[in-house]
Amino acid sequence: MNSDGLRLTGVALRLGAFALADVSLAADRGEVLVLLGPNGAGKSVLLETVAGFHRPLRGRVEIGVRDVTRLVPEARRVAYVLQNFALFPHLSVAQNVAFGAMHGTGNRASRHGARARRVASLIERFGLGAHADRRPAALSGGEKQRVALARALATDPELFLFDEPFSALDALTRDALRDELASFLREAKLPALYVTHDHAEAQALADRVAIVDGGRIVQLGAAAKVFAAPRNARAARLLGVENVLDGVVRAHAAGSAIEIGAPPAFFVPLDAGRAPIGSKVAVSLRASDLALGPPGIAAMAGEVAFDATVRHVAQQGPLTRLRCDAGVAIVAWATSAQLRALAIAPETRIGMRCPQDAFHLLEG
Amino acid sequence: MRRSALFLLFWLAGSLALAFTVIPLVELVAEPGVAGVVRAAQLPDVRSAIGLSLGAAAVTAAIATAIGVPLAWVLAGRRFPGKGLVEAVIDLPLTVPHTVAGIALLLAFGREGVLGAPAAQWFGLRFWGTFAGIVVAMLFVSLPYLVNAARIGFEEGVDPHLVKVARTLGARPGRVFVRIALPLAWRGIMAGITLTFARAISEFAAVAMLAYYPMTAPIRIYEMFLRFGLGDSVGAAVLFLVIVLVLFVVLRHFAFGRAGQRGFGR
Repeated sequence: MNSDGLRLTGVALRLGAFALADVSLAADRGEVLVLLGPNGAGKSVLLETVAGFHRPLRGRVEIGVRDVTRLVPEARRVAYVLQNFALFPHLSVAQNVAFGAMHGTGNRASRHGARARRVASLIERFGLGAHADRRPAALSGGEKQRVALARALATDPELFLFDEPFSALDALTRDALRDELASFLREAKLPALYVTHDHAEAQALADRVAIVDGGRIVQLGAAAKVFAAPRNARAARLLGVENVLDGVVRAHAAGSAIEIGAPPAFFVPLDAGRAPIGSKVAVSLRASDLALGPPGIAAMAGEVAFDATVRHVAQQGPLTRLRCDAGVAIVAWATSAQLRALAIAPETRIGMRCPQDAFHLLEG
Repeated sequence: MRRSALFLLFWLAGSLALAFTVIPLVELVAEPGVAGVVRAAQLPDVRSAIGLSLGAAAVTAAIATAIGVPLAWVLAGRRFPGKGLVEAVIDLPLTVPHTVAGIALLLAFGREGVLGAPAAQWFGLRFWGTFAGIVVAMLFVSLPYLVNAARIGFEEGVDPHLVKVARTLGARPGRVFVRIALPLAWRGIMAGITLTFARAISEFAAVAMLAYYPMTAPIRIYEMFLRFGLGDSVGAAVLFLVIVLVLFVVLRHFAFGRAGQRGFGR
């Protein structure tokens, strides 16, 4: 990590019955680290600790070259963006932005002049000129987000913290704002910690992902790697993996294979690591890795193929979610074209195939 | 049909509650006529008593605001050991009979009292039979209204997220309080000031125990009732009532505005 980023080293905290246990993580300049976890996992507490609202029992919080562990929030230079953007409802857009620019150094007159220029430039940069005198209640979701970002930038921050800023918005607005935020973060080139329980949001924004559960970081790594290889079943569920399949380790020509489902079972050649032959294991499989075809579909090289009976069909947005029985409950997605071509309906038989490496062995 | 019966029942209960409050006041206002009120207004003792009550209640409301609003902010936003005890102490004057409160204040703020003696010695401030005594008695019985209303104002008006964001934007806690919390909770605070003023100006027993003289309006009216009977005291009572009601309506307008006009629907 370079010295411009965020680094937490062995941070421990106790808040009533809740505890954060020796959290260590880092986010480089320009990197978005998403803290993904269920409600009550400790993501927001961790963010608040970085912001300075809780003092750790142990450990160190560093932003750039500064050790901020014992600094109060107002001295940390972090930009904190919260649910629904937390704009001050009694202040205009310009006053909201000016609030962030209010606490610089220098004498009063030079501060005032510099502040006015900074506020004007931020309002222009974020295209808020037409709304400068409006109150937040009169703004759209996108405008609110831009005010929140402009206000946060007015403090000349060294770190961005986001605590589920989109959780109170409708899906359409959320998607649009997420794209806008992703562009902003790419340009801002500041380290960012982003808290969410939404795996889609994490996938859209994260350079790296930390899965937080029970006050601990249970998995941390590059987003692509974490999404491809969740550590355990709980992490897999949090990462939006639709299929966590129980299996049994069997001997195989290649070393080992996982037998999945009740007979007629299918076998996945997979290195079972230290799991002995005959032991029970779990594997993850993303529904998006499953290709659909007619029953008896042939596996290509490096693929696994099996048949399943469709039990339930539900339209979800542009795709249709299929709950199937392949000796084990398995979820797949179908396009409208596939529905028509395969005449998919409840109780029809279909074939499925996917690459062997789409299966991932989970820790127990 | 069931909804109509329920509506009728609620309407009846509400009407009884309103009638219970309004009928005695209407009876009071109708009794002396305008001439009786004018006659009371021409009495210097009555005018000075009403002025004293208004002044003392205003000072009480100001002191209550100065000491109660910061306490309300702390109670609304902080968890600390003994918070429940602090809240119970704040509410204590609501449960103590006001004659008992008066005796307690007399003991504490009297010439030999634990607060009265040093206040007299160091600041020359005396409470027995003085304006300061009236204010102390009014403050004791009315402070809970300020603290509780302001606290509700902070709890309902100030999203904790706003406080956190303001801190990370570089504002110290004092600035957050002044720039964010106070403007957002001002309706609750105004409601507290209104209730405090109303409670203070109407106080009789605690004031009478600590500072019977100079006479506030309630004590002057009581004295007139004892000396001259109902006839002469009613004019002063109506005059006092009208002045207090006008003030109350004005303050209430600022405190509540048009809030509370939303309904549940049908």
